[in-house]
Amino acid sequence: MDRISRRHALGIFALGGFGFAAGMPAYAHHGWSWTEDGFFQLEGIVAAIYIGNPHATLDIDVEGELWRVELAPPSRTVAAGFTEEAAAIGDEITAIGNRSLDPAERRMKAVRIVVNGKTYDVYPRRAPS
Amino acid sequence: MAADLFAWIEALAPVVALKRSFLAYPLVNAAHILSIGVLVTTVILMDLRILGGLSAIDGRTFIALMRRLALFAFAGAVLTGASLFSVRAGDYAANPAFLLKMALIPVAVLNMFLFRHLARGWEAATWRHDPPRFVRGTAATSLLLWLAVLLCGRFIAFL
Repeated sequence: MDRISRRHALGIFALGGFGFAAGMPAYAHHGWSWTEDGFFQLEGIVAAIYIGNPHATLDIDVEGELWRVELAPPSRTVAAGFTEEAAAIGDEITAIGNRSLDPAERRMKAVRIVVNGKTYDVYPRRAPS
Repeated sequence: MAADLFAWIEALAPVVALKRSFLAYPLVNAAHILSIGVLVTTVILMDLRILGGLSAIDGRTFIALMRRLALFAFAGAVLTGASLFSVRAGDYAANPAFLLKMALIPVAVLNMFLFRHLARGWEAATWRHDPPRFVRGTAATSLLLWLAVLLCGRFIAFL
């Protein structure tokens, strides 16, 4: 009896884990599974710049609403020319990429950043031609 | 203020170096995975042994070895985990999966002490008898808690 109920408890836990995992893809940062397919463009003011591990991010103020823009890992972001010196807080910036599948979430993954008249393709192979 | 503390952590010289590093961060990350791999494996094997599995193996020697490995792995996981946390302390401190993980770890550690307390008499005696029901209860709880900690950890990157 004990053995069976323990096995059941484990099974329920495993199922719960998979259910949790399956219900969450819209929130995933890694890869592109959490983003829309079509390109999305965001224009606003730089509120914060993070160039570091595990991946670089920008916070962009769009008419008072803060967006989190995910970039590539730091090595790839810097290789694209986008360093902390490329933009300053308060600069006007355009991010082109894919936004979260969750319309309530102000989050996108950028393939291209345009700031101070310069274009940075952080994901060159995904950037629009 | 917690925000000040996180900003202070993020500005520490070794933390900034880790944040910028090409090699060190993935290495620390890999060391964290190794630590949690050893920790979860040894915990699962110990719990299964207590629950009546692996009965062909001598329990006393087996648990002593697994416990030592688990403690080393836990220390490694804490050190590497603190390093990974430090580069974006403020962000992780606002991550629900991270917060749940930080809440579950002390519960799992307390459960381990509860097990040691409850199992004292039984462990000192012979391993040939099945452990009391409440001792097995703590082993089953341990299994669930550490697997939940593992899942929460993985979900930090996806929230």
